[in-house]
Amino acid sequence: MWATATRRMASAFQPKSHSSAALTFELVGKCSTTRARASILTLPHGQVNLPIFMPVATQASLKGLTPEQLEGTGCRLCLNNTYHLGLKPGQEVLDAVGGAHKFQGWNHNLLTDSGGFQMVSLLKLANVTEEGVRFLSPHDGSPMLLTPEHSMSLQNSIGSDIMMQLDDVLVTTHPDKARMKEAMERSVRWLDRCIAAHKYPERQNLFCIIQGGLDLEMRRECCREMVARDTPGIAIGGLSGGEAKDDFCRVVATCTELLPELKPRYVMGIGYPEDLVVSVALGADMFDCVWPTRTARFGNAITKHGVLNMKREVYAADYGPIEDNCGCPCCRPIEEEGALGITRAFIHHNAAKETVAAHLLTLHNVWYQLNLMGRARDAIVADRFPAFLKEFFAGLYANKKDYPSWAVDALRGVGVDLLEI
Amino acid sequence: MTIDIPSQDPESSTPTAMRFEVLKNLAKDAATTASSRLGHLSLPGRRPLETPNYIGVTSRGCLPHLTPDNVTKHLQTSAAYMSLEDFIEKPQQNSARPPPIFAAPTSSKLPTPLHAFTAMPSSIATILGARRIPAVASPMGNTNKSISVFTNTGFQPLTTTDYLSAVSTLKPDISIPLADLTNSNITPNSKRALRMAERTDEWIVDWFSSPDSSATATFAPVLPVSYSMQWEYLSRLSEDYVPTSQLSGLALYDPALLPDLPAPLLSLPRLSLSAPATPHQVLQHISLGIDIFTLPFINTISDAGIALDFSFPASPNPSSSAEGILPLGTDLSSPEEMLGWTLLQIHNHSIVSQFFAGIRRVLGGEAGEEEFEKARNGFLRAYEADFPAGHAERPRARGYQYKSVGGGEPKKNKPAWGKLGPEGSEEGVETPVVPEGKEVEEKGFAENVPKE
Repeated sequence: MWATATRRMASAFQPKSHSSAALTFELVGKCSTTRARASILTLPHGQVNLPIFMPVATQASLKGLTPEQLEGTGCRLCLNNTYHLGLKPGQEVLDAVGGAHKFQGWNHNLLTDSGGFQMVSLLKLANVTEEGVRFLSPHDGSPMLLTPEHSMSLQNSIGSDIMMQLDDVLVTTHPDKARMKEAMERSVRWLDRCIAAHKYPERQNLFCIIQGGLDLEMRRECCREMVARDTPGIAIGGLSGGEAKDDFCRVVATCTELLPELKPRYVMGIGYPEDLVVSVALGADMFDCVWPTRTARFGNAITKHGVLNMKREVYAADYGPIEDNCGCPCCRPIEEEGALGITRAFIHHNAAKETVAAHLLTLHNVWYQLNLMGRARDAIVADRFPAFLKEFFAGLYANKKDYPSWAVDALRGVGVDLLEI
Repeated sequence: MTIDIPSQDPESSTPTAMRFEVLKNLAKDAATTASSRLGHLSLPGRRPLETPNYIGVTSRGCLPHLTPDNVTKHLQTSAAYMSLEDFIEKPQQNSARPPPIFAAPTSSKLPTPLHAFTAMPSSIATILGARRIPAVASPMGNTNKSISVFTNTGFQPLTTTDYLSAVSTLKPDISIPLADLTNSNITPNSKRALRMAERTDEWIVDWFSSPDSSATATFAPVLPVSYSMQWEYLSRLSEDYVPTSQLSGLALYDPALLPDLPAPLLSLPRLSLSAPATPHQVLQHISLGIDIFTLPFINTISDAGIALDFSFPASPNPSSSAEGILPLGTDLSSPEEMLGWTLLQIHNHSIVSQFFAGIRRVLGGEAGEEEFEKARNGFLRAYEADFPAGHAERPRARGYQYKSVGGGEPKKNKPAWGKLGPEGSEEGVETPVVPEGKEVEEKGFAENVPKE
């Protein structure tokens, strides 16, 4: 049945593509109900299928996984944090080694953030001026200044396939509208400085970041300004900072409506499975979040039936895989190639006690997230994405009345009623 | 190649599939005195172990920081030491629950419950003991029928019967029966030492009289007390259990006992549980005749952020002619990322594997013993006497063996993130990025408005 649908769609949908200097975006399928899209993004280090989840290898390593293991999860595009790499190993070492790909033994794609977000997430009292962001080095306590030019220079040294502009990030729930507008406008000015400072547009893609908090008019204005600057890809930033999910969805939907069809759209900092599938339905293509790998270190496994805390006593003598029918190296049937034969009991035994349990859960969780996006993509190509959404929520919640109202409302907005029989 | 050959003794009631061959004795008097030698230990279905060699020391069933796929791909280690106390804690919520490891279902890929529960690749042989290496001394002491072990939920007694039953269920390739030990640096007085020997002697008799002990190859403990205290026990081993082939090897808590071993025990493989602290000590113990080492220092050194850097024989052309100059490793300070420990473990295990390969090459040479002693002296001269002090911060103070010693200790790791100095002290400050409720109000910047 799926195959038939695929053929039908293949004949109905004419792939369209658009190329920038260092990137090609090919749209290969669109959901006929929602705004979901399936595409192929060709980057300097190879192709990736969108929609995609990108795990975060903060300091050039994915929390205990070797590059080989990360490759084994199917990951072909992951994140590095510019801020961390700039502090250690530092620009000089990166230049000497020949970039972050070589530094971490990763022959696939890398995306780097600008370093600006860490100001929000790690440093309570960084100060922002027109010049840049001032903060104290966590390594030696010395005062530091991060400017758009620094950020570009660092990301050029890193050699990431996708670089992000430095933006003035505020939490979306920031109470001061004037400050929010200042941040949005400053982000546009900083984009211009970033474009001017970017040394290798022919081999590194610079993405802009739409700001504007929860104010939809401000977001629209920012979209217009940013789109006019014609970057190869576009990010929606500042979200995932504690705003209500309804607000989050409104912002994503507002932005995707205004963005050009043939450019990748990246919603930054999104990682809960529900958020991913809803954002895909709203027309977003790319996501990143530390949550799947962080929660692994806390002993939590992401499954189609929700997040399981493996430290619970109930798993102590559970000899099943972390998740039934999961294809990750931990869970796949023991007879299969590369299967490790990991049981819930073993994870329980070592969760929060030995790093090995964290590594195994990290493998599983990354696999889950990548596979979730892969299945969403298949559903889009086969034009059965609404059915996929229904199956997904039915797996998470036994009862429809438990469905989160923000998801129900957001999906209704794009033509899918999760609650219909 | 591993060949499954049952015990040579046709009358043996307990054939074991383990096989140990001495390939070459270095000393002329090898028939009467323990000394360095080359050997080959094989177990059906496991990687063969060329000796002298070392085996990995696990914590809670894991080689620290190494997932099973990394063990298979990146480690040359053929065997892993596991301690039963890592698996038998009694959780507060459910203290009656039997340890889950005993019911772990096996498969062709993970053929024993011990392999299956820990997902230890089946190519790796398992050696089971009761206690971790090094073991935490118990305030409770041992009894005539049990020793005190330290689990994740505290000290608890482990009886000889329970231990044997665990062994018969878990089916480790090699097991070390219980020994009555103090696990302290203080030499026990002669009364205590004698009791240690007597209890261990009684326990070994119980062990071998049970058919359960035939499920595994037995490496009998040799106590860290003088020969005069345990000669009766050692005589029993050589007279009663060598002829029946029930005894497959020796597990020595102190290599100083090697020169005193009765001749009939000399054909058995000798496993060291004495945790030598440096490669220099390892070399000395090889001279004394140890075949297989458990080396907890590898894990400790990796945790401390040190990359080992030594080889045997010592590199003939050190950059300086001065003696004792080369460090045994490099302090990489703080690999803050978890992958740092994984890579260090892979590297350090590899260095130690090559170290032993070098030892075997020298021992296998024409002038084996002489050449080995020469190379050993060269190594002592070339390298510093101890590992560099590591300054790495751990991902967390792992493992229950790190005990609080009364509370009020400072945190092991210092906080990474500080606050930016006094607000407003910097020029050109405009607005803080994230005003939080209280800060906003204190600065009069905005009021904390409740969310609509």
